[in-house]
Amino acid sequence: MARMKFLCDSERCIECNACVTACKNEHEVPWGINRRRVVTINDGTPGERSISMACMHCTDAPCAAVCPVDCFYTTADGVVLHSKDLCIGCGYCFYACPFGAPQYPQLGNFGSRGKMDKCTFCSGGPEDDVTPAEYEKYGANRLAEGKLPLCAEMCSTKALLAGDGDIIASIYKERVVTRGYGTGAWGWSVAYKDASAA
Amino acid sequence: MLIKRSAAPRPSASRSRIADAFASVAGAPVDRRSFLRRSGLAAGGLAAVGTLSLTTVRKAEAGPTIPGVPTEIRKNVCTHCSVGCTVTAEVQNGVWTGQEPSFTSPINIGTHCAKGASVRELVHGDRRLKYPMKLEGGEWKRIGWDQAIDEIGSKLTAIRDASGPDSVFLLGSAKFTNEAAYLFRKFAAFWGTNTVDHQARICHSTTVAGVANTWGYGAMTNSYNDINNSKAIMIMGGNPAEAHPVSLQHVLRGKEVNRAQMIVVDPRFTRTAAHATEYVRLRPGSDIPLIWGMLWHIFENGWEDKEYIRQRVYGMDEIRKEVGKWAPAEVERVTGVPGEQVRRIAEIMAKNKPSTLIWCMGITQHTVGTANVRALSILQLALGNIGVAGGGANIFRGHTNVQGATDLGLDVTTLPAYYGLAEGAWKHFARAWEVDYEYLLNRFGKADMPRDAKKKLMEAKGIPTTRWFDGVLNEAKDVDQPDLIRGMVVFGHGGNTVTRMPEVKTGIEKLELLVVADPHPTTFAALSDRRDGTYLLPICTNFETAGSRTASNRSLQWGEQVVKPIFESKDDYEVLYLLSRRLGFADQMFKNIKVDGVHPEPEDILREINRSCWSIGYTGQSPERLKLHMKHQADFDKITLLGREGSPVAGDYYGLPWPCWGTPELKHPGTHVLYDTSKHVMKGGGAFRARFGVERNGESLLADGSYSAGSEIEDGYPEFTYGMLKKLGWDSDLTAEELAVIQRVGGASPDGVSWTTDLSGGIQRVALLHGCSPMGNAKARAVAWNLPDPIPVHREPIYTSRPDLVAQYPTRDDSRDFRVLNIGRTVQTKAVEQKLADKFPILLTSGRLVEYEGGGEETRSNKWLAELQQDMFVEVNVDDARRLGVRDGGMVWVYGPENGAKARMKALVTARVGKGVAFMPFHFAGFWQGADQRGNYPKGTDPIVLGESVNTLTTYGYDPATFMQETKVTLCRIEAA
Amino acid sequence: MITKLTRLTVTRLAAGLLALPLLASAPALAQTGTAATAAAAAAPSAAPVLGQTPTGQQPQSISEQEVQLFQQLKGDVAGRVSIPDKKAALLIQPEGKAWRDFRREDMPVIGGVIILGMLVVLMGFFAIRGRIRMEQGQAGETISRFNGFERFAHWLSASCFIILGLSGLNIAFGRTLLLPLVGPETFTALSAAGKFAHNYLSFPFTLGVILMFVLWVKDNIPDRGDIDWLKQGGGLVGKGHPHAHRFNAGQKGIFWSVVLGGALLSVTGYTLMFPFWFTGMDGMHLVQIVHAVVAVGLIAIVLAHIYIGSVGMEGAFAAMGSGEVDLNWARAHHDLWVQDMLGPRNDPPKPHPVAAE
Repeated sequence: MARMKFLCDSERCIECNACVTACKNEHEVPWGINRRRVVTINDGTPGERSISMACMHCTDAPCAAVCPVDCFYTTADGVVLHSKDLCIGCGYCFYACPFGAPQYPQLGNFGSRGKMDKCTFCSGGPEDDVTPAEYEKYGANRLAEGKLPLCAEMCSTKALLAGDGDIIASIYKERVVTRGYGTGAWGWSVAYKDASAA
Repeated sequence: MLIKRSAAPRPSASRSRIADAFASVAGAPVDRRSFLRRSGLAAGGLAAVGTLSLTTVRKAEAGPTIPGVPTEIRKNVCTHCSVGCTVTAEVQNGVWTGQEPSFTSPINIGTHCAKGASVRELVHGDRRLKYPMKLEGGEWKRIGWDQAIDEIGSKLTAIRDASGPDSVFLLGSAKFTNEAAYLFRKFAAFWGTNTVDHQARICHSTTVAGVANTWGYGAMTNSYNDINNSKAIMIMGGNPAEAHPVSLQHVLRGKEVNRAQMIVVDPRFTRTAAHATEYVRLRPGSDIPLIWGMLWHIFENGWEDKEYIRQRVYGMDEIRKEVGKWAPAEVERVTGVPGEQVRRIAEIMAKNKPSTLIWCMGITQHTVGTANVRALSILQLALGNIGVAGGGANIFRGHTNVQGATDLGLDVTTLPAYYGLAEGAWKHFARAWEVDYEYLLNRFGKADMPRDAKKKLMEAKGIPTTRWFDGVLNEAKDVDQPDLIRGMVVFGHGGNTVTRMPEVKTGIEKLELLVVADPHPTTFAALSDRRDGTYLLPICTNFETAGSRTASNRSLQWGEQVVKPIFESKDDYEVLYLLSRRLGFADQMFKNIKVDGVHPEPEDILREINRSCWSIGYTGQSPERLKLHMKHQADFDKITLLGREGSPVAGDYYGLPWPCWGTPELKHPGTHVLYDTSKHVMKGGGAFRARFGVERNGESLLADGSYSAGSEIEDGYPEFTYGMLKKLGWDSDLTAEELAVIQRVGGASPDGVSWTTDLSGGIQRVALLHGCSPMGNAKARAVAWNLPDPIPVHREPIYTSRPDLVAQYPTRDDSRDFRVLNIGRTVQTKAVEQKLADKFPILLTSGRLVEYEGGGEETRSNKWLAELQQDMFVEVNVDDARRLGVRDGGMVWVYGPENGAKARMKALVTARVGKGVAFMPFHFAGFWQGADQRGNYPKGTDPIVLGESVNTLTTYGYDPATFMQETKVTLCRIEAA
Repeated sequence: MITKLTRLTVTRLAAGLLALPLLASAPALAQTGTAATAAAAAAPSAAPVLGQTPTGQQPQSISEQEVQLFQQLKGDVAGRVSIPDKKAALLIQPEGKAWRDFRREDMPVIGGVIILGMLVVLMGFFAIRGRIRMEQGQAGETISRFNGFERFAHWLSASCFIILGLSGLNIAFGRTLLLPLVGPETFTALSAAGKFAHNYLSFPFTLGVILMFVLWVKDNIPDRGDIDWLKQGGGLVGKGHPHAHRFNAGQKGIFWSVVLGGALLSVTGYTLMFPFWFTGMDGMHLVQIVHAVVAVGLIAIVLAHIYIGSVGMEGAFAAMGSGEVDLNWARAHHDLWVQDMLGPRNDPPKPHPVAAE
């Protein structure tokens, strides 16, 4: 069974933010919601690396574990999705998430948050596939159309890989062999229990 | 208004997932139906939740259309940088609803950067100029197109009648399609001025001058894709990771697959440098010493390609003498780069061939820009890297079509295709346009001027964009034309792009007429305190029109119209047509161009280009061939760019990179790697252009024993003329029709008709038939005797941080060119005398951010991009910040040494810049010396993000050959605000 | 079906990622417009490319490398982002796991032990001791114990606290206890309302706590008498009523628990309500944990308070009900206070009958 994962090859990532705007474009994500972002570590010094980060769709997802209303579910493709009809915007998933993935629209009162929004691996939500209702709440459902997430498909240097975990791991390993270096798959040991197998 | 794609579900894939079970959090598999049942969501119980729900779902702005609405795919080209990424647009009911990766594009292979991935937002147009507007008494008023064109026409005519056509500054755009660029240049010719310029002046004019004077053509010699073949990659004065992100795909793959060394030379540890195997930090403005320092080691160790130099390079011995002055100690003293590192990078480049050299504006935007470019070119010549796959001078141009716009003559020094401004050039275009030469001549100067005076103006270089405001503000005696500049027509160009902005602002205020034709009002409209006489014309983006654009690698790509122009916007073609009609020369100008109502047909404009631009091989790229390439993108190899055998594009290089010789019928494949002697000319081979005569001081300038594969002349040869064909006995290969055209062109002396003026293409065809390059086979010039510094020499920047070096390496003497003065030497001397380096102790340099482009009005209006960079900032070194009491994220005032300039912005404290160096991005405008100018924009057209412009602080300094401005080195003082 | 999707994925990868350094050798990966056709055309040819065994040096497993990376970086991986949301700069925060474990594993134990424990204790106490009656019966005469404003302050906090407590408990345990009973839809509706109430009622709750503090702090300064009171078990266990002023040591305990606990809950609560305004991710974790633990603690204490103020003791409720308490009750429990109130004119407290026996 396909097990969808993201892998960001930090030797390739140049912080061009294509993944970020591709995501915005594909899902019409509003200002202030960043389903995907690029973080640069060691900024400005030798060893600087940029990593594109979004929901990693963890196995035994921490967000799902802490959700007070149990609004998460994992698809057969290993994608962690949630129902915005059930979400109450409590913010707990953000505390639990190792990757800062959950985003909340700021609502009127104090720091009170609207329903959580996050990367769906371009696979929509619980509504019927590729429907206006699904699009309105979760954005496009590319997986249902046989396409992979747009962020990875548009990545300028092919740094961001998305797809079946085994395949992208093998692509990555092959790169490491070809070039002779690599700094690992960011987030994998945290996100995937079976990562040691990769 | 705009809606999102629906993309009808693809049955095979979509149903598969529905049937798939999915595991719940608890681990027990539940299919989605049972999840919905379980959660009550399927049963319509949602309403109950809705009434109770106290949190809301933020609705996306637009949902997909009803599934089943047919989706059309249209291909265009990204309108931002010069890489030339194909944009695949999904259109439903005439609305651009989605953007898909363009996997078949050989250039971007599906990818985009932040800008490319967000171009759909450009035609959402939230903040676009929606209808023509006019500034009246300080208020923006909506007007109609008819009124706008009519009033602009009257005012232009009034200026023309009183002061002559040269008093109107025509500023074109690197965002134009090739067709629009050509049309704009033609418009200037018919209007009667050579003062027609565009962004190339301020990005790569020095590159064009430098490399064209070295080996023939002012363009990237190889391609982005070809970097896959490089064994060593040196990037100097460029940050392609931010400026050309998609190019990094090719660079990094070259680095990985070939285990190529990647050297980045830059004063700033850029995003590109982060991926380098060797990072070299040099003092800004000391590029020539570093290159000469490298060559010192190369010559010292005999690493140069001696045979290549002997056969194909002129004057290398003189270079050797100059290089001899740059022993390691002196190089280190001037550049600050450790001697050992200079030797190491020289060795890397010399011993890992083919090695490529990439440069951008860090090299070009200097008072020594042309000399810099020449030094880099000479380095590659010494290593024998030019004309070699994997080698080359890979000059990354800036805007989407800056190469094409340059090629097609948006340049104050030339007509299209670098024909220049001499009588011969005008006569060539008079023939090509089928208008009378005397008619064109009479368009110049004031009506009552004698013919000679008009002819002189017709052949005089115009005022470049870097100096337009000097043409407004200077005294009349200092401007070599009938009158000062009084009106300005700007198409697709920001007002914050040139240095000395306080003077720019005054210049804008003094103009009697300002016409801004752009999708956005731009800084031109908002910067000044003008109250009257500004017209804003809404121009659509290139996604709303069709036409070709030339990527940096000289490939032409045809863009289809994705959607019709939104709001009341019109495309460049139509507006130029309307203006020329109002000014009374449309009939002449569009004599041979099909005009459908008021819409000139871009295909037909390209055909006219094909018929006239012989000198750079813009003749084989017919619209039909270009469209075929776009349709069959998948058939091109992703590295060699060669069309696959058996496909309709077999043997062609993708986009027919110019030169694509002869007529379209000749089926020349285009030239992937320039000057490549390993290939037959009909397969894209060639040699250095014989542009500068056949000998100098008794030494031959023609190649010695080197020639392109299959050439029947197995040695150097001059450029082809009818007379030369006759001498070779090849004139009999000309057809009768070709001969008739040659005789018509040549008149009394047909022997002088050359490959560039022969409108039949016969001379080119016959030369190619015999395996010869029409432009000859010469040596590249290490010594370019016609340039201000024939041998590049180091010269300190005007406002140098090392005044101690000025006595030894002063800038060039004051001069007068391009109709205005260049008083760089005076300014430099004064700066040293006044000890400005003590009062302004930090060196200020500038550059680009990935999210924005150029002046930034368009990209700062794009919400998806604007969100990513919301503040203007200055990068300050950690040590400097500590000393100055500046904290990261805090506000600072930055003061410049001219015009009492100051600017307020955020500080970004980082080790990215060296000690004593500060960096600012150049995309911001809308704040002026601390004041918010948002109110100056017409309502609803203000960019989302505003900020101070770096050019408020930048200072005097112009390259003597092209009047390129100095943006990379000036001085400043930073204080915590 | 699944294999089909997987194959699509493979194709998409082959066509899309082209990550492969073997780009040149893979012209067969020619990209086609739609994934559906790509599946048919390119999947077979993709396989050999992707299946190529790496030669030369074997890379470490991906996670191995990452573990090394974490060791180098020691904990959080944080960097710089250009967007203003600075918490987005935190790339990876493994501490999320600790917080998740607290919420998923520790919190049910802590909450269970404290709250259920208190309930067990109270039920046990009731079973053993029964309702504490007024030994001398009603005097018929009352004394004013709390004025209207004081009662307002008390009930303001109390009513808010009940809703805050219930909605809080729902967030902590509702998913386990309530969700299966009412179903997700209703549960979400309840929880959303609860979240809304929890946010808004925090303000009156805090106000009530502040008022109570101001009103009663002077009577709640611990003194020597409290030690005796405690030594005597407050009269709850054993026999006799120890002397007490307006508030006995037990009530002082409640007071300080409510004041300090309430303050702590307010501070942590507002921090949670304005997330990341005052602290970072680690701080938010800590604040949430403190909020949860203090909350269950205070809930347990308040449960005892409610017990003793209602079913547990005859006559006690009147103090916060009408504000007027029976003089006999007052004399029994707050003899010194009655003395202060009525002056020396009043009878000296009688030795407690039970104690006298």
